[in-house]
Amino acid sequence: MLAEIINPYYLQVLSFILINIILGVSIYITLSTGQLSLGHAGFMSIGAYTSAILTLNYDFPLVVGVILGALLAGIVGILIGIPTLRLQGVYLAIATLGFGEVVRVLFINWESLTQGAIGISSIPHFGRELVTGLRDTGFTADMIGIRNNQLISLLVFIILLVITVLLITFFVRQNHSRVGRAFAAIKMDENAAEAMGINITYYKVLAFAQGAMVAGFAGALYAHVTAYISPSDFAYHRAVEILIFAVFGGSEVIWGPIFGATFLTAMPELLREVSEYRYMIYGIILVAMMAFRPQGLIDHEMIYKIKSRKKKKKKVEDDKKERNRHGVGS
Amino acid sequence: MILEQLINGLTLGSIYAIVALGYTLVFGVLGIINMAHGEIFMFGAFMGVVITHTLQLPLALAFVVAIAVTALLGLFLELLALRPLRGKKGVSHLAPLISTIGVSIFLENLAHHFFGAGNRPFNTSFSEISVQIGSVTIYAVQLVIFAIAVLLMVGLSFWLSKTKAGKALRACAENLEAASLLGVNTKKMIMMTVVIASAMGGIAGILVGMAFNSVTPQMGLTMGLKGLAIIILGGMGSVRGAMAGGLILGLSETMIVVFGESGYRDAIAFIAIIVILLVRPQGLFGQAAPEARR
Repeated sequence: MLAEIINPYYLQVLSFILINIILGVSIYITLSTGQLSLGHAGFMSIGAYTSAILTLNYDFPLVVGVILGALLAGIVGILIGIPTLRLQGVYLAIATLGFGEVVRVLFINWESLTQGAIGISSIPHFGRELVTGLRDTGFTADMIGIRNNQLISLLVFIILLVITVLLITFFVRQNHSRVGRAFAAIKMDENAAEAMGINITYYKVLAFAQGAMVAGFAGALYAHVTAYISPSDFAYHRAVEILIFAVFGGSEVIWGPIFGATFLTAMPELLREVSEYRYMIYGIILVAMMAFRPQGLIDHEMIYKIKSRKKKKKKVEDDKKERNRHGVGS
Repeated sequence: MILEQLINGLTLGSIYAIVALGYTLVFGVLGIINMAHGEIFMFGAFMGVVITHTLQLPLALAFVVAIAVTALLGLFLELLALRPLRGKKGVSHLAPLISTIGVSIFLENLAHHFFGAGNRPFNTSFSEISVQIGSVTIYAVQLVIFAIAVLLMVGLSFWLSKTKAGKALRACAENLEAASLLGVNTKKMIMMTVVIASAMGGIAGILVGMAFNSVTPQMGLTMGLKGLAIIILGGMGSVRGAMAGGLILGLSETMIVVFGESGYRDAIAFIAIIVILLVRPQGLFGQAAPEARR
């Protein structure tokens, strides 16, 4: 029965949606202190290349490779973040854009390590590694009545889902903590935040490094899900794509980029004719969003409305129950 | 050999300088970075290909068509992507940047669609003409490019400093509201700025097509980013800075190719961006602190 439901293709699309959600979250964190980074494709490529090279050339375990990839991206984020945070708005965006391009040129030219523009292929695949591991313990796909490739995509999807949910939970909780409130204060007004005793530099670097680390993490996952990476995967287009998740979905609340990533990744899959014009549509979306709804589709107000409606509904139901009880009682 | 490379560097630098002028004009008046400028430049180059190669018409016509098309693109850019954001409450300073990024990605993929992803030749018999002076070969194209660059630079400086329209433009750059109170039609001036900047991008596009004989949809991005590097290097909004920055970048890129590290050629511009922003954020020729702008 399970064998008929599981479609590896759909699962793969869902897996890409999850990776894009992680990327959307990464740009959201940086944006939550009011900094626009166009270097997230660069951080993503650092994570992807680090993990791919470590696991492929030096036989590191997959998990260690992914973690080290994310950490290295985070460290580079700190190194880039500390000096560039002196820059404001537009200048920061350009400096990070320059950073992304430098990383890409470096990966193209460092052929002994990265195989240049050809890219790295046959990177250890998440699902396949896991299935081999499971086979050693005696568990095979036949035991639950599905084919091997179905099990692979299913496992990849489940792992990514767990990771994504954990990440989102972490950042939702962080938003309600001291750190999250400091981020929000800095975004609103830096000078006022400083006057209130918030260490601006610390929190800005923290947000930037967190964003870089999450982007690197997503990159490492991407490398092990597609099993092939090349510098062109992390070009300017990717940076814009990551940005558009937040611009379209909304950068005020974490649900914005999550929605943006989901919708924009699913759209070309659902509408085949559209996928050819994908980047043109992205361009139109960027212009239109800025003109009509610069805060993105989902903003604070919308979340507030949904929440209050839920409360109202609950209240109405409670009232009904109450009345019924009274009715029965009398 | 080294002299020839120097000439190549000057040619490249002149083209960079023209591209950078487009950025500088828009930034000087509007205080925004027009990320779509590189793509408008690329459309100018493709107009050259269409006219000279596909339709086999003379080069002069290519200039006219390229200027017309890019000016039109500039007009659309202003009307659709920039004007709706102006003076709106609650729009962050990043909005125009994001909006022009949208235009850039749209135009690039439009070109992909129309002209294909491949390399397009730009054949004019003109690019074969050369003069031999001693051991050095100078192509006529290089002279033309250099002449046009200098002409544009001088013309622009003259226009900005001496004519009435130029004065109005500088008034707008100083303070948009005050200029409008003093009777400057700011809407018209802004539109004119964007259109002129775009048309200069178109001219640069044709020159690049003539000099390198290849045009691709991706060239807008590379050239655009280099233009950005130059205005940061030379100082935002400074005409002289754009010229100097362009020449510096062109020469240093040619030199790095001479020394055999051609793979890292494209990285120079971006490393320059990062270093300059950290060491001297106002650029070589800039004066005011960048944050002081709206």
